[in-house]
Amino acid sequence: MYSWFGSKNSAMVMVLLLLLCGYNAYSVSAETTMHTNNWAVLVCTSRFWFNYRHMANTLSLYRTVKRLGIPDERIILMLADDMACNARNKYPAQVFNNENHRLNLYGDNVEVDYRGYEVTVENFLRVLTGRHQTAVPRSKRLLSDEGSHILLYMTGHGGDEFLKFQDSEELQSHDLADAVKQMKEKRRFKELLIMVDTCQAATLFSQLQSPGVLAIGSSKKGENSYSHHLDSDVGVSVVDRFTYYTLGFFEKLNMYDNASLRSLFTSYNPNLLMSNAYYRTDLYQRYLEEAPVTTFFGSVMETIHTDSAYRILSRRNSQKVKMPLQQSVDLDDRKSVTNSKMQDQTSDTTKECPFTRLLNSFHNKIENIENVDSLVNYGLVIMLPVLMISTWISQ
Amino acid sequence: MANRVLSLLIVCQVLYSTIAFGSVLDIEKEDEEFSEELLLKPLPDRKVLAHFHFQSTAPPSTSFGRHHHLFPKPISQLVKKFRVKEMELSFTQGRWRYEQWGGFDPISSNNAKPPGVELWAVFDVPQSQVDASWKNLTHALSGLFCASINFLESSTTYSSPELAFRPDLGNLRYGTLPREAVCTENLTPWLKLLPCRDKAGLSALMDRPSIYRGFYHSQRLHLTLTGSGLEELDSGIVLEQTLTVVLQPSSWRTGKSYVDKAHSQPSWSISSIFGRKVGGKCVLAKSSNVYLQFEKGLVGELKNLQKENANPETNKLASKVFLSNLSFDLSVNPDKVFEEVDDFHSKSTSILYEFSVEKYNGSHPLDLGLTWKIPVVWSCQQAPLHASRFLMGSGNERGAIAIYLRSTELSEGLKKSDIVDQSCELRVNVFQVVPWYIKVYYHTLQVFVNQQSRAVADIMEKIHVSPSKDKTSPGVMELILKFPCGLESAALNLEFDKGFLHIDEYPPDANQGFDIPAAVISYPDFHASMHFSEDGSLDKSPMFSKFQEKSLVLSYTEILLVPLTTPDFSMPYNVITITCTVFALYFGSLLNVLQKRVGEEERFLKNNAGRKTGRLSQLLSKFSTKLRGKPREPQPSTAVSSSFVSFKLILKILLVAGIAICWQYYFG
Repeated sequence: MYSWFGSKNSAMVMVLLLLLCGYNAYSVSAETTMHTNNWAVLVCTSRFWFNYRHMANTLSLYRTVKRLGIPDERIILMLADDMACNARNKYPAQVFNNENHRLNLYGDNVEVDYRGYEVTVENFLRVLTGRHQTAVPRSKRLLSDEGSHILLYMTGHGGDEFLKFQDSEELQSHDLADAVKQMKEKRRFKELLIMVDTCQAATLFSQLQSPGVLAIGSSKKGENSYSHHLDSDVGVSVVDRFTYYTLGFFEKLNMYDNASLRSLFTSYNPNLLMSNAYYRTDLYQRYLEEAPVTTFFGSVMETIHTDSAYRILSRRNSQKVKMPLQQSVDLDDRKSVTNSKMQDQTSDTTKECPFTRLLNSFHNKIENIENVDSLVNYGLVIMLPVLMISTWISQ
Repeated sequence: MANRVLSLLIVCQVLYSTIAFGSVLDIEKEDEEFSEELLLKPLPDRKVLAHFHFQSTAPPSTSFGRHHHLFPKPISQLVKKFRVKEMELSFTQGRWRYEQWGGFDPISSNNAKPPGVELWAVFDVPQSQVDASWKNLTHALSGLFCASINFLESSTTYSSPELAFRPDLGNLRYGTLPREAVCTENLTPWLKLLPCRDKAGLSALMDRPSIYRGFYHSQRLHLTLTGSGLEELDSGIVLEQTLTVVLQPSSWRTGKSYVDKAHSQPSWSISSIFGRKVGGKCVLAKSSNVYLQFEKGLVGELKNLQKENANPETNKLASKVFLSNLSFDLSVNPDKVFEEVDDFHSKSTSILYEFSVEKYNGSHPLDLGLTWKIPVVWSCQQAPLHASRFLMGSGNERGAIAIYLRSTELSEGLKKSDIVDQSCELRVNVFQVVPWYIKVYYHTLQVFVNQQSRAVADIMEKIHVSPSKDKTSPGVMELILKFPCGLESAALNLEFDKGFLHIDEYPPDANQGFDIPAAVISYPDFHASMHFSEDGSLDKSPMFSKFQEKSLVLSYTEILLVPLTTPDFSMPYNVITITCTVFALYFGSLLNVLQKRVGEEERFLKNNAGRKTGRLSQLLSKFSTKLRGKPREPQPSTAVSSSFVSFKLILKILLVAGIAICWQYYFG
């Protein structure tokens, strides 16, 4: 291995390997963590009364995930306009998603976290990546961890690789993919389901590349997503087709049903939707047949029996993971690495990458360091001699 | 009576034990109090006012991180963390109609609020930290109440009034969000601060659709610190939560017997206006009462009607008579009746019926109903002046704000009566905040009294103006005016220019216009307070002890909607497209010019033309070259082309020569 690189820039190789080991340690630790909690980020991006249906869509999902066990404190609800108490609403403080008005989605206990002018691309990306001002209260933050399953639902008006926010801003597929990648690197989720109900929803997923992400869109490129029906009392369309049939699927379920994600995906009938629902599953490792819908849409906790009370279960078992040096070659093929790590973990746990251990202690030290800026400055200063040595060697 | 003695005993015991064993936990538990009250009041325009009043108090305590039993923990944390001395937050939808619903009683001066969110807070921190505390407080409140109160953190939205808005409060910050939507999600967290939530007691009446169907609803949260005499004690907190709703009763049952429908009051009951009944008190509440108030004007009118009916036994104005009244029926007999003690010595005083909720439970709920037997018309007590505000001017460049004050019955009464001394003056405070993009020229202030222009200095007692700074602070104007008593109308005019915002600063619905927050008009010489007689048992009620406090009579003006020049928001995209087109054309042609050898091509074309076509086309091409102003013959002088041409020529010659030789060889 080393001879292939040549002895000349061995210092660079060392640094590279260190980085790689570190990265893999992170990714592996994220893969093997236990499922800890469920979060939902539900976004309605449309303003104005005629977009009533988008709010009804979002609130339908809100109702579903709440019914299936995600508490309000783990739901970030973003509504771009106030429809319930809108002056045009004939039914104040009520929102319906069906003509029959049997179900008041607004209920008595809605907690809207971001509303009105606060629903911007900036705030949305801040919620995803967790980069807030210090004053922002906890109820407005996505406080997920590396074991979280997150449902991200978005609805509004979209187009080829973008989603409009309040008719004034756009979220592009690159922005979304970057945010998801950042979340992955910050270990903010274990599995993420992105569900989008807009026109040409599939195009929004085209740039995603982070593992553990599953995506469903209401329509493929070039297709529109249509509303389901018009309520002549409310005066506008009250729900979109894709969400209507999603809700139809979930209304039949309760928290303990084991319907799989596959059965959700196959429940969409293109003739009823008037568009083709699109799934992107290549980044998701589990089999869809085995994963229940409550992975994302509910909060079903695994109970663990322990002999002694109050023993903390160790989540991070990255130290057990063997880190073969060959993986440095697989830089471009990270997926195979993450897939193979299961075997690595089970087959030989004796051989440990010395760098991993080094890095773990290093990482722990870094976490304890308070003055980050000075560390960065020192690092920069150290870079200079390393650079000089490498140039001197190569001469 | 037995109850009262018992409670007195308990109070004595509590007092004794607090003196004896300072901080026994049980005693603290006793000390935190919660009470719930509901005041119902028919309004002259056939509507009903429902005013909920919940009060939680936490006593001063020594321990720092103590547990609360009834008092909401988030509020006490808020107070501790941001060192709030006094705070008021209100969420309002709809406009309080001062002319119909009254402007001089404690409810209208405390609970009539401008639409949207209004927040003011007084901090107990050094001057330099007030702004930071305010910013953090807005964020915390926005998380607590599901509203975008955090927009108040920007220095363009809040101000620190000094003169005209509730004077002598110290480190005060005031901010409003006129366009904030108010809905269920704001009420729910507010209700969660109550010990019984909305599950039991009076708060169970709050059926969301019926509340939000109303004409006006204002939910308010007011907290004050009660200073403890001792230094080492933490100060106690009084949290007052009120919800004021104006509802239209749905039943019109009285209509039958009267021809004059317009004057007939609708009959209503608690279940007809809220859709629910009071199923018992919140067990944690110390007191739980429903009150029905008939205000002064109504009582006077009823007395007149009774006199007209000439029933000799009803001439005695004992309050008991009102129960067996000819004009209305109450479905439930009141537990107590109170009569107001009036400072103004007017003919009639308002009457209050008390219904204690304690007697009722789920199987036997309280459903207070009021049925009118005869039509009655009355009017509410007005503030000294009626204030309204409007915009003048047209176009997108400039305009003017006018505040118009008109005298009401009360000030006319003042004019006639000799209650006030000779130097009769009517003092009016005006507090107005204008966002920075409305550039008000304060020197253009004009005052018209009784439609005649007056010098500003004659009217002005004090003025405090801080002009707006672009993108940093709003313009604040505080005036203390003194008008002569014979005032019929007064107008204040201010001119302004409309500013421009940066394209990123426009909200998504910029075409709707921009709001100027409501101005606050207050009358420092007048105080709204209500005193009820009858053995002082009402003193225990927190709502009425609040009403008894002298509160400043104040009113809010309308919110103004100013259309600003909005840019064409698609303009950047258009500019980008046009620029791109221009660049593409420029670079395309430039590349064309650089890459293609024009002379070569022309000659090539000409050759082609010469070879293929006849004389005519040749002539045409010559003509066109002439038109283009280029030399007819291409210059063969360039070295490359000449050598190239010669090479080709030689090749051709050689080829022709070869063919000729072959021909000669074979056929020759």
